[in-house]
Amino acid sequence: MNESILTRSPGTLSIPGSANARGELQLGETSACFVNRKGEELVAFSYHDIVRLKNVRNGGVSSTITVTLNDDSTFDMHLKSGLACHSFIDKHWPNKPRQVKSRADELRRMAELRGERIQTPLSMSAKKHRNERIAALVIALLLIFFDSGVVQKLFHFELSTGFMVLINLAVIAVILILLGSSFKRRRPNRSIGGDMGIYFLLIVMACLMAFPLVFAIGMSLKPLDELFRFPPTVFPRHATFKNFSDLIVVMGESWVPFSRYLFNTVFITFVGTAGHLLLASMAAFVLAKYDFPGGRTFFGVVTTALMFSGYVTGIPNYVIMSKLGMIDTYWALLLPAFAAPIGLFLMKQFMEGLPTALIEAAHIDGAGEFRIFWSIVMPNVKPAWLTVMIFSVQSLWNTSASTVIYSEAKKTLVYALQQIQAGGIARTGTAAAVTVVVMIVPIILFIINQSRILETMASSGIKD
Amino acid sequence: MQSSSLLKKYASIKQQKISYNWNKAKRMKICYLFLAPYAILFFTFLILPICTSIYYSFTSYNILEKPVFQGFKNYINLVLQDEVFLIAVKNTFVIAVITGPIGYLLSFMFAWFINELPKWVRAVAVVVFYAPSIAANAYSIFLIIFRGDAYGYLNSLLLNLGLISAPNLWLSNPQYIMPVIIIVMLWMSMGTGFLSFIASFQGIDKSMYEAGYVDGVRNRWQELYHITLPSMKPMLLFAAVMSITTAFNVSDVPRMLAGYPSTDYAARTVVTHLFDYGFSRFEMGYASAIATFLFIVMILCKKAISNALMKVGT
Repeated sequence: MNESILTRSPGTLSIPGSANARGELQLGETSACFVNRKGEELVAFSYHDIVRLKNVRNGGVSSTITVTLNDDSTFDMHLKSGLACHSFIDKHWPNKPRQVKSRADELRRMAELRGERIQTPLSMSAKKHRNERIAALVIALLLIFFDSGVVQKLFHFELSTGFMVLINLAVIAVILILLGSSFKRRRPNRSIGGDMGIYFLLIVMACLMAFPLVFAIGMSLKPLDELFRFPPTVFPRHATFKNFSDLIVVMGESWVPFSRYLFNTVFITFVGTAGHLLLASMAAFVLAKYDFPGGRTFFGVVTTALMFSGYVTGIPNYVIMSKLGMIDTYWALLLPAFAAPIGLFLMKQFMEGLPTALIEAAHIDGAGEFRIFWSIVMPNVKPAWLTVMIFSVQSLWNTSASTVIYSEAKKTLVYALQQIQAGGIARTGTAAAVTVVVMIVPIILFIINQSRILETMASSGIKD
Repeated sequence: MQSSSLLKKYASIKQQKISYNWNKAKRMKICYLFLAPYAILFFTFLILPICTSIYYSFTSYNILEKPVFQGFKNYINLVLQDEVFLIAVKNTFVIAVITGPIGYLLSFMFAWFINELPKWVRAVAVVVFYAPSIAANAYSIFLIIFRGDAYGYLNSLLLNLGLISAPNLWLSNPQYIMPVIIIVMLWMSMGTGFLSFIASFQGIDKSMYEAGYVDGVRNRWQELYHITLPSMKPMLLFAAVMSITTAFNVSDVPRMLAGYPSTDYAARTVVTHLFDYGFSRFEMGYASAIATFLFIVMILCKKAISNALMKVGT
């Protein structure tokens, strides 16, 4: 070799049809050579001559590089720092085949070569639908007008509730259809009729789904005389927060201060989620990115365990915890939460999508496994850990933990609230307030997290 | 003579395999280090209880005294003598067969529809559809909607419209209990599976659709079958597992709505039956037999579904 050596790696060279030789691969700017221990040059090649370059990882950083040259000669090199050498050659390899991302890219590239431009609907310019938007706005205003009863009073007529609901639904559907047709970019392969059908179905279903929740909120805002009115109404006439203030009064009278329940729940939710996230993603990282004996079996077991409900394992779990002396401590709630199978499962599924090249690149730079996990894998699976967080928070917030914790000072908020809810008819209003408080927290958490998930999903997409 | 040499060969291959795996395992020590904290907890709080539960199912055990081994007696009693168990199995299967597949299809369908919406509408829609299943025990509001007197929302609506002349006892009349439970279960069926569908829809590479368009995909159904479904297979299976789990483990909803025990055991499910024996009568051996039965049924179900999903999009 007649240039300065930039990188070298000890290893074994094997050429089909001859014996293996131990030595060292020396890499320069434009060419490389394999030198045996006596200093004889066994193989030398210029990067210009390479037709194919393949890299097979053998665990750790050692790997086998297979080089195929112009004259059909192929040789394998089993190298200590094979990945580094591979990426070095790859970097200086001048006529490496260009990677084609998708068939569309390829077609577009060919069209570009021919000097044409392919028009796909995704790249078509936006069409403005100004009039439709104005129409939708006018209808929406009319709807509000109708609902406020001004029109009905002016013209002295009254519509039945069912009819009003129908009108409202229909009008909302029209508005959405109009808005839908005026989206900046229409997707390809979508017929307008189909879109309208979908919007209508979505609206009807959304109303049905939301009705019980809206009803619950309405109940909690009703004063006592409206709670038992016939016919019952969805929305309160004179909304009041009295139920909620009653709730606080009732809470204040309880034996253990309210703040203690709150602290318990927040503490359990926070620690449980954080621990679960850390442990599950550590396990998921190795399960997703390394192939080691037992890994697949373990994951299979986790997938099966997804189907077990808490009731099925309830009693033996109690026995085990009492043997470990964890009954009536926070550990009884936290440790099982750490080991929830759902987090590991989701994490692993998301991490499989991470490009292996990313991790290999970090290996080349000399990063250890933990560093790779912490500073490369974790930031890149943000959507996954937000999702796992939601599930964990949701299940921990809802634990009433009545079986494993018996001292009142360690009970959770939901448990305390359920005790109030069990108060019967006299506490109907307060019970409704409890329902709202218990349900609103996970929903709000979800709303906050969801916007972040959508954001991270949109901006942090990694393509292999 | 020949068979013994074959046996020897098999043994040596096996040995080689073991030593190969052992060497590999030694080389990848760090992986086990990463896995260990989770694996230990997982074993202690999920695998160990499951194994003990299977063991208890062959014994007579009431927590206070030591378990006494009695073979298959629990299982025989379960099938031959326990009439309530058969009602529970029937109810569970009715609920599972209706809410499982329908809930699964609904959550896929709505995730797909919602994915078509512009960003901000999508955000709102996801919350509206997902809220029922995340909102703790919000289903208790159905106690008021389906209340048996005229103050119940459904009753008063039907009375007002003149469809019924006297209020219906939705939650005590065995005739109505199951439909009500199924409706509530469907209302809550947009759960974890739904969310993972939404996430995976957004994770699909947009250039695949572009490529599909260039290649001649002409409507949304073709796009769904040829591009979307094959790229979200893992999520499909996951959501299926989740919907099996919720469908077979149904117990909170019937207990809250129909009472515990319910009229004529009309809302008795396998898990409420288990609850009855385990936590009220403390016949742990018997309860464990019920749990084991449920577990086996769910595993078989999952096997069948994963086999079916293998064929999707191919």
